[in-house]
Amino acid sequence: MAWWREAAEESMAQFSDEKAQDAISGVLRYGSILSAVVMALGLALALWRRQAMPRSGTLSAAALLNNARHLDPAALTELGILLLLLTPVFRVVVAVVSFALERDTKYLLISFGVFLVVLGSIIFAIH
Amino acid sequence: MTLTWLQLVELTVLGIAAGGAGSLTGIGGGLVITPVLTLLFGVPIHQAIATSLCCVIATSSGAAATYVEHRLADIRLGMTLELATTLGAVTGSLVAGLLSREALAILFAILLTYAGSTMIRRSLKGQATDPADHEGYQVKHLPLGLAGSGAAGIISGLLGVGGGVIKVPVMYLVMGIPFKVATATSNFMIGVTAAASAFIYYSRGDVRPLVTAPTAVGVFVGAWLGSHLMRRTPSRRLVILFSAVAFYFAVLMVWKSLHGGFAR
Repeated sequence: MAWWREAAEESMAQFSDEKAQDAISGVLRYGSILSAVVMALGLALALWRRQAMPRSGTLSAAALLNNARHLDPAALTELGILLLLLTPVFRVVVAVVSFALERDTKYLLISFGVFLVVLGSIIFAIH
Repeated sequence: MTLTWLQLVELTVLGIAAGGAGSLTGIGGGLVITPVLTLLFGVPIHQAIATSLCCVIATSSGAAATYVEHRLADIRLGMTLELATTLGAVTGSLVAGLLSREALAILFAILLTYAGSTMIRRSLKGQATDPADHEGYQVKHLPLGLAGSGAAGIISGLLGVGGGVIKVPVMYLVMGIPFKVATATSNFMIGVTAAASAFIYYSRGDVRPLVTAPTAVGVFVGAWLGSHLMRRTPSRRLVILFSAVAFYFAVLMVWKSLHGGFAR
């Protein structure tokens, strides 16, 4: 009697694995496109307004977002770079969530471990 | 520092060339960007490595999206090895902060020489071929694979490259992964590995938007062109040309570090 349950579980795992791969691929694709567009926009505005650019990492996240919202070239360019760096991090988050949904404990722990290492690096960078 | 048209165009072209070369030869753009930025543009090597890391992320994210879509990358294997590559990358980027420009340049020259000779060897032997079967494989020697991935991560964080030069042979020869899957999985892992160290370079102020952004945008364009317009594998002559360039850069980097010619 257990055979059908096994088969059902297998097909469910298969199904969500497929979904997970599509989600991961989508995050990578649209993250890349978004970051490229934001960087290009920032550079174009910097050229247009002949504006100087300070070095990166001097603004808080809130100030950066606020300046980017007002189409400040430097803030937009830096935001684009940050989106580029964050795209693979989002991809890890999607993997963590997918493995949790699939109840795949082993890979949930592994991907969460990867997330912790990257998070550690981000926290180090903020300080 | 304001951006000039010329600078923007030059850096974007560098990115397009690096992205195109990366997607054509499989040996990444990261090997090209740091030498060109330091030798031709006079960018300090730590900043050049930071830019290169960002470009490597651009290449990986773009390519991995396609690899994952086509189910060529082994995500479970990739995430397991990423535990080692990200830890290695953080270590490598912290060590890079302690090293002098000259030391980094010489290490880079060693890597270029290794990568150049690998390219020649591989093109002389012909592309690795294995059965079309991408599913029936068993992962062997995981501890060795983790060690190799850790080493690849250190090199990635230290020198701003993807580290495929190490990961692909480790997966293919040691772990028994089919060549195509090894390449796709290595590429998949590069993005998060480079990101782990890029944040550390970022915090040191080594990511300069005016250098990084135009180059990274160029890499996106170049990688897209490389994968959509030129679908065939590169000719042997092209591969030999690339390795000659790698050797030439290696010699120049050693020369400059011995004669103190690097920008501060």
